[in-house]
Amino acid sequence: MEETNFNGQQEQPVGMHDIPGREEGFSILKAGWFKITIKIVSVTAVVILLLSFFAFVVPSLRDMTARSQTVISNSKTLKKDASYKKQITQLNRDLQRLSRRYNSFTSGQTYLVINTTDNLFFLYRNKKLIREGHCSTGSFKMLKTEEGRSWIFKTPKGKFTILGKQTNPTWRRPDWAFVEEGLPVPERQDDPSRYEYGVLGDYALALGDGYLIHGTIYKRFLGMPVTHGCVRLNDEDLEAVFNSLSIGSKVYIF
Amino acid sequence: MDTEKKDIKGITRKRLVAFLIAVTVILLYYTVMQMVSPAKTMRQLKKEHGYVQDEKNPVNDSIFTDSAYLALFREVAFLKARTAMAENDSIYLSLNLADSTVNLEITGVTVAKTRIISRKESRIFRDRYSYIISSLLSKPLTITRNFASIPKEPLMIKMAPKDTSEFKPDIIPDTADYEPVNFIIETDAGIVVYAYQEERLNPGDRLHLFFFDLRYRIHSAWQDMKKIFTFRVPDYHMYVRMRLTRDDAKIIYRALPEQGQIAIYR
Repeated sequence: MEETNFNGQQEQPVGMHDIPGREEGFSILKAGWFKITIKIVSVTAVVILLLSFFAFVVPSLRDMTARSQTVISNSKTLKKDASYKKQITQLNRDLQRLSRRYNSFTSGQTYLVINTTDNLFFLYRNKKLIREGHCSTGSFKMLKTEEGRSWIFKTPKGKFTILGKQTNPTWRRPDWAFVEEGLPVPERQDDPSRYEYGVLGDYALALGDGYLIHGTIYKRFLGMPVTHGCVRLNDEDLEAVFNSLSIGSKVYIF
Repeated sequence: MDTEKKDIKGITRKRLVAFLIAVTVILLYYTVMQMVSPAKTMRQLKKEHGYVQDEKNPVNDSIFTDSAYLALFREVAFLKARTAMAENDSIYLSLNLADSTVNLEITGVTVAKTRIISRKESRIFRDRYSYIISSLLSKPLTITRNFASIPKEPLMIKMAPKDTSEFKPDIIPDTADYEPVNFIIETDAGIVVYAYQEERLNPGDRLHLFFFDLRYRIHSAWQDMKKIFTFRVPDYHMYVRMRLTRDDAKIIYRALPEQGQIAIYR
């Protein structure tokens, strides 16, 4: 409803949020926000510019100055020089000696390579691949107890030697096998409850420090990192590996 | 009132100009110091790895400009570094830039061979006939620092159950887990190896790589700044940037020990 004031002019109804000079206030507010936005944009632009300057422009410029170009002469007189010939002979001798030494590391024996990232194995004889397939390696789980004991289930990496071979192996359960299942740990190492039969497959090859290459009853997990550090193979692969490797054979784990 | 306002504006403008001049001078100083750094590094390398004449058996200096000698020297240097690494049982990396291959080796046995899809290296590094660089590479490079988008060892912590009622069998690992694989290796010789995943398997991979790279660039710039603003010329780091498949990059990064060794052949 419109009202008339004392001067006879019509007055607009004043609402709860209406204040005199609203338009002016709004434009001041708008200008304020505009200024703030401009400031934010400017600061962001400066930061981006500085960042690109330090991270991209200067390194690229620096790379341009980083030049090295050996000027090759290949002079024929130099090739006749006695000291040149001596140097070349020495280098050739070094090359042969180093090549012999390097090749001696890779003998023609049978060896096993295990890839723990993809859980694959490769069996080589005379430097030729004779068998490959899936395996299971360490799960990278860290088992912790409230008492502060802990174990990390990972397959060690590097060069190993087959230290022992066993058919129909028996698993002597370590402490962690009980802790993991919430069972009390038997005090004696030869406690009958520690021995489990038929879980390691038909064969086991010892790598030292309790790590084995053995079979598994959990064949569906082959190709996955699920073990406590040992290397698991399926029955056929295990048999091939067992028959190919002898005590002293090398196993390369990476 | 108006004169007062004009004075304030004048002072602000003067301050702004002074600030801009100061910033420009600082940036110029920073740029000049960075430009000087490769020359300083080369001087240092020459001092450490340049040929030292033997008084009894002097060598004709022009031998160091002979391509046959330098090519042979390069071969020997690479083999020397590889043999030194093969002497111990650890896993090491052989980077052959000439045929674009990366080998993971253990005591001379190649356990994994991968191909470099594309690469870029420092200009200094591109000089295949440089005696100094070959001499530098005749010793294995030891890793001093790793930066990576994935953990070296994906450890998961599991608390032991108090009794059998709390025991839960292990869940099968989630092989669908995806994380882009990019890593940067710094070595004791000042050479930096960048290995980035080639594939763009997820839409965010490009952005992830950009920020990963940017983070390292900022880190490097910060290290340089600390030297520059204490009036020292920063070290120039030669680099090899390479693109590998995701699987290969992951295998290499996970296999290399924290302080593993690298041999490079150009």
